[in-house]
Formats: sequence, structure tokens, C-alpha cells
Amino acid sequence: MINTPCSRRKFLGAIGATAGVWLARPAFSLAPPAPAGRVAVGMCPEYGPQVVTAMSTLFDQLGGLEKLVRGKTVAIKLNLTGDPFTRLGYAPVGITHWVHPDVVGATVHLLAKAGAYRIRLLESAQGTAEPLEEYMLQANWEPRDFLSAGSRVEFENTNFLGFGKKYSRFMVPGGGLMFQGYDLNHSYEDCDVFVSVAKLKEHLTAGVTLTMKNCFGITPCTIYGDGSPEDEPGLVPKGGRGPFHAGNRMPSKSAPPQVDRSGSTEGGYRVPRVVADLVAARPVHLGIIDGIHTMTGGEGPWAPHCSHVKPGLLIAGTNCVSTDAVGMALMGFDPMADRGTPPFETSDSTLRLAENLGVGTRDLRQIEVVGTPISKGLFKFRSA
Amino acid sequence: MDLDPKWVPMKWPCGPLEWARRSKSKNVGADLKETLDAWAQPAALDLLKGTPVNCLVVEWAEGTPEDSAQQQALKPLLEAGRRRGLNFVGKVAAGEGTAAAVASAQQAGLSAVMLAERSGQSFGMPVILQFARDKVAWKSTTRIFSSTDNEWPGLKLDTMKGDTAIAGPTGVPWVNSNAWFSLLSDELAPGKTRWLDFDPPEAANARHPTNYPLAVADSQAYGSRWIISLDDNFRAALLKGNPQATSAWSKTCETLAFFETHREWVGFPSQGILAVVSDFLGDNAFLSGEVLNLLNRRKVQFRVMERSRALSAPTPGLKAILWLDKDAPSAGQLAKLLAFVRQGGLLIATAYWGPAGVAPKNRDPAVDYKMYNVGQGQIAVSVEGFLDPYQVAVDAHLLVSRRNDLVRLYNPDTTNCHLSLDPVHKRRLVQIVNYSPSAVSFVTLWVNNRARSAQLWSPGTKDSLSIPGVPAAPGTEFGLPTIAVNCALEVEGLNQ
Repeated sequence: MINTPCSRRKFLGAIGATAGVWLARPAFSLAPPAPAGRVAVGMCPEYGPQVVTAMSTLFDQLGGLEKLVRGKTVAIKLNLTGDPFTRLGYAPVGITHWVHPDVVGATVHLLAKAGAYRIRLLESAQGTAEPLEEYMLQANWEPRDFLSAGSRVEFENTNFLGFGKKYSRFMVPGGGLMFQGYDLNHSYEDCDVFVSVAKLKEHLTAGVTLTMKNCFGITPCTIYGDGSPEDEPGLVPKGGRGPFHAGNRMPSKSAPPQVDRSGSTEGGYRVPRVVADLVAARPVHLGIIDGIHTMTGGEGPWAPHCSHVKPGLLIAGTNCVSTDAVGMALMGFDPMADRGTPPFETSDSTLRLAENLGVGTRDLRQIEVVGTPISKGLFKFRSA
Repeated sequence: MDLDPKWVPMKWPCGPLEWARRSKSKNVGADLKETLDAWAQPAALDLLKGTPVNCLVVEWAEGTPEDSAQQQALKPLLEAGRRRGLNFVGKVAAGEGTAAAVASAQQAGLSAVMLAERSGQSFGMPVILQFARDKVAWKSTTRIFSSTDNEWPGLKLDTMKGDTAIAGPTGVPWVNSNAWFSLLSDELAPGKTRWLDFDPPEAANARHPTNYPLAVADSQAYGSRWIISLDDNFRAALLKGNPQATSAWSKTCETLAFFETHREWVGFPSQGILAVVSDFLGDNAFLSGEVLNLLNRRKVQFRVMERSRALSAPTPGLKAILWLDKDAPSAGQLAKLLAFVRQGGLLIATAYWGPAGVAPKNRDPAVDYKMYNVGQGQIAVSVEGFLDPYQVAVDAHLLVSRRNDLVRLYNPDTTNCHLSLDPVHKRRLVQIVNYSPSAVSFVTLWVNNRARSAQLWSPGTKDSLSIPGVPAAPGTEFGLPTIAVNCALEVEGLNQ
């Protein structure tokens, strides 16, 4: 399989000065502070038409979307973890562990309104190469709603080669924590702006699922899956991302190799490093977190002790580390926490690792929070 | 007396023939001999009191020296059974002595005999022909016919959960089911009653009682009957009054009674959006059978169409036709196929039979098909042909699109359903079967029409339960109570 080096200059125009600072910094530099983006927080008690209004306010508070997306191709990674037919109780997946279709629709609508030339909705549909629209239909979603929310809306299942002719290679600045680089579906390169739309959730392995952990799913299982071929990418994805978790096997040899020499087979060590690598290699320009309805106890209904909750929150930010830090604070966690402290009882902090890679700061003192103050939006996940 | 579709059959293994056969095939102990002897006694029939079982299938003749001893040993059982209103079907092995064995069965007052093949002879009593599943002579089936080589229904593999091999599901669990064969039989032997012959796995015992109701449900929800077959340990435990076995037998009979109470459901035609067309014979039998099996596993609502009869009747609601065989349609069929396509239908085939001059387009990287736009519809031609039944089923599902689903099930993927239509009341019937050994909770049924409520029927309950519908555009969802093995919902209203 042929791989293409990623042209990182492509992202500069869209990411602005923040990215410029980030790109100029060495990967493991601890001296200068990591960049901080503004993070907007809003209350939205329920899904429905009010989501558009609430999100519009958030984007205005961030300074508006227009300068970020006008005339650009925008790729949106959705958090559609698990499969479409496994629910927490009777609740549709968009209520508990998938981003809600109203949030997706509002995002598309507002991006289109801000002048985005093309909008691509992306997710690596679990264990299948079927079109993303079919995956959504299985969850009782209506993909046509998204098509009508903007003029050039496309879908792509990024769990395999998809519509591309080759995989795109993203090298991790500084050499990577777990892998030197990652081979991804072309959609993550063929865009000017990359948006991560996540759910406000905990995660069994990585502590939290926010805009950064959402990017774990940009990796194709044709290369990184349990059933990927040894040498070359498979034609269709087989299995989940067990090798990232357990290190029990390496990706297909066509992809950049593992650099971590710890020999660790612990998910709590490996997964946060893979995630930090990914957001360093494939920068997130806009992070959105759906916390209107969600679940506690883990990232999906398979978590042993989970329940449906209604924090009524929407969060958006231009730096994924800072956005996740605010998200964690709103969940009742300390974003400066690390292994041994909730929610990182059994894992390293992805936020700290990404911060060390220079992606952004998790220090709330350096983050400008606009809109609803954290103290007012606080929803303590562990006591919910 | 003629063959009666109302017979509820059960294997009743006992007597010298059974003992002789078992002795040859595996290590047997005194316990088995004791069980076989006990089941030959009239007192064993007490087990059937108050149950729907009304027909016992017994070994009658194998062409061996034990035949006469068997028939002699069964006499008290037959007499006692007849007094209780039971029917008996004697299994007779094919051979030179078939005619004599059938004559002795008639003399002994059996209601019918079950023969492994048609000899061409005419017998003076009703005959049930039994075939291996892949060798059914569809045109020769008797009013009641039986098939062997069926699967014991249930989960084959455990699933995983989450987005990784450890934390989450990486694929749907494999389920063994005879549903596809029942649906195929409905088409190839319409109006006939099927008795599926399959025995519990050797590992089965009183500690896995759920399996018996599942064997009933997987057969009857799709219009067949299972010839009830209990394993030896279970039968021994039943006669000893083991409470666990007794409870399991009671549950099995509850499930039988459930289907007998709703016997009219057997006549409801299956609903489907995809027609699967083949002659289902010879070289086409394996691929077509597997495709039916896999489509059913994917919960695609399909209808089976025998090739020579395809499109001979109106097909309302049909969105696509999957023409599995390489044989081209006849001129008459082709005209109907193209009319179907021109009106917006989708034809999926291995060759292009449409009008000349239409250039194909590739539709999607996920499906390797050339797409021809014809009228308002399309013809999808497989680039590589139909080689792998799994891929054919996946592709057909994608090509017809989940947008056209009539029903969907959520939580968990160990359930499946059969959709049919009450032709009189114009109500949809959705029969749900849980293939997991454990009861399942929080199952949600989605139907593509708007409905305020549905009536839920479950084994062991006399009355239906009204389940309110929750709008879920463009259809309705129903949150169901815990399902042990099976249930059925009658949903008011058709698709809008």
C-alpha cells in the first residue's frame, strides 16, 4: 500500500496562530506553556431546535466560525462508538453514548452557514466497510437530515480505504509516544479544518471520552484491527482496536512502527499515548462536546455500572486539550489529575500526555472559559 | 384417518429397537436401559397430561430381528395412548420389508408411518415422508413431511462488547437457526406441514432447560413444528420427578401451548422488501440456502420466490429482487423484471439483462457492483459473480438499503424476528425469538409505521399486554419487557 506524507502546511491557514505556536515547539518541551484556546460552555436542557441556538451562541463566543471555515473543506469526526443496535436500556444511542443527531445537524447547519465549502461526516463504523449512511440508518438516524443541513455534505466510513486510492500518513511530531505515525483514511488529509464532535463521557480504559479520545476512532481497523493482515492493510475492517489496547500484535507492516519500548500491554498506558499521538499528528481545530444527555460509568452500555444522565451541557473550543480540560472540570474531575486519581484510576492522563506534546494546556488558570461558568454548569459524574 | 396438521409430535424413544440401536452406536449404561424400559410403560404417558402433545413418534421397524420384539413391547403403550386420545406415528426404515412393516403398523392401530423415502408403493395408511434437508423432493412431499439434518438452535459463539476485542463487540454473535429452511419450505411446499427432526446436543442436560422452548420457538415462529426430542438424561430426570427437569418440561409445554393458542399465525404470509429468487435445487441449492440463512441472520425482511413462479403474482411492497441463479429469466419473466425496475425497483443479478446502450456506474467502494440506471430503478450486476454467500447477503442488504427496513430490533443482537401480516385484520405480526441461553432485557422493536400501541403475547400468559408506541420518525418504537425465549407483537396499521 502506498502512503502519502502529510502536508502539515495545509492546516496552518485554518488553525491560525495557535497552531503556529504549536508547530514551532519541540514535542517534549516542558518549558514554554502549551497553547490555550478559548472554551465556550452553554446550558441546553434538551435536544430539539434549541440546540442550534445554543451552539450558535457557543461559536459566537469563540469568535465565530466564519474565519475558520469559510470556503474550506471541513471534516467532522463523530463519536459513534460501539454498534448502532446496542442501547443502554431503551434509550436510543444518541441519548447515551453517541453524539445526538440534533448536535450533528446543528453543527453541519452552522458550519454551512459560516461558509464551509464542503462538509464531510466521518466515523470508522465498527467492524464494517458499509457506508456510514447505512450505519446511521441502523440507529434510526436519517442521514438526509444532514444532507439538507448544508449544500455539500458527504459521508465516509473511515474504517477502511473508503473512497480514497491510498491511505494518508500522519507522522507524530517529535517521533511519537506509541507509534511514529499513523496511516489513516484520506478524509483526514483531504480537509482544511478538522472538527471532533464528542460526547461528555467517562471511559473504562482512558478515564474520559471527550474530543481527544474521540480521535482514537480515526484509525482504520484494516490496519490497526484485531484481524488486519500482517503485511498490508486489509480490504475490510475485521475486529476492533484490541492491538492498541493490549499490544498483542502490531499493525500491518505497511504502517509506521511502534516506538514505545516499554513492552506495556496495559490499555491504561497504551490508549492515552495513542490518542495523544493522534491529536498531535492530526490537529483538531474545533472540538464540540455533547453533554445534553449522556451516560456515566463508561463509554457505552457495556460498562458494568452505567446510567443515563442529563447534564444539559454543550461545550466547544478551538484547542482540544483545553476543551477536554473544561469538559473534565464540568464532570467534576480535576483536569490536572493523573494516574491513580479519578477518573484516571487505572490509566495515564491523555490530557497530560497531549499537553507534553505541545498540543494544548489543561491548566484551567490559563484557559479562558466563556459562557456558563464551570461552577454553574458543574455536573458531578461520580455522584450523579 | 388422514394426516392431521394439528398433530403436535414428540419422539418417544423406548423399547428393544431403540436399545439395540443405541447399544451399537455408543457406550451405554444401565441407566439408559432403565430409561428406555420406563418410557415403554403406559405410566410414562402421564408426562403428557395437560400438554399440547398429541402425537408420539416411535421406532416401528428397522428391518432387524428386534422389530417384532419392539412392536410387541409397544402394545401396552399404544393401547394406553389411544385411550388418552394420542396418535402414534411409527418410523419404518426403507428396505425389502417396508410393506410388511407398514401393514403391521396399520394392524397395530398406528395413525401413520414415517418413511425415509418414497418407494412408489401404495400403502393403506397415511405416510409422512422424511428427507435429508438438502435432498427434499419438494414435489413429492406429503401433507405432513419431515426433514432431518437441522440445526439445534442457539448461540454458537459469545460476542464481545465495546470498541475493542476486550471491551466491546467486534461482530454479531453467530446464531444457529432453522428459520431460513422453514421460510424456503413455505415457498417450495406451500400448504404442507413441516416437522423438523433434530435432537438436543449431547451436552444438553437438565441444567440447560432453556434450549427446549427455543427449539419449539425457532421452529414454530417460522411456521414449522419441531418433533420434540428430549435427551436421555433429561428424560430420566423427568421420570424421577426431578424438580428442575419438571420445571423445564413445563416451560417447554408452555411454549408449545402458546403456539397452539395462536395456530392461525402459521397462515400469515411473510412480509419482505427483498425477493430472493432461485430454483433452490442442485448446484444452486448451497448458495441460495446459505444466502437465505445469512439474510435472516442480518434481519433482512425477505420473501422466497421459486424461480419458475417468480413474479407470477403481484408483489406489493417489494423494493428489490435478488436473482441468485446464473440462469437467465424467461422472456416473460424478463419483461416483468424490467417493468419492476422501470417503476423504481432494484434488480440484483450476476448478469445484465436490461436494455442495450445503458452504461454502468460504480456506486460505492463498499459494494463491488456495476449499477445500471433503467427507468426509475436500477440493475446491480455483481462484478465477480455470486461466489461467497456471506458477501452476497451483505451486498444485497446494502444495495436494498436499511432505509427500507420494515422492522429493526435493538438490544441485544441475540434476537431475531419474523414479520408477517394478518390478512384479515391487516395487522402486522412480529414474532421475536431470543437465541441466548439467558433472558434478554430492554429489547426495543422498531416498526416503520406509526402505531399508538401493540399487543404483546408471551408464553405462559393468557392475556395480551398493551405496549405503548413511542414515535421514532419515521416509525414507532416499542420497549419490550424481559423476553425469556419468545414473544409476539400484533401491531396495528400498515406502512404509511
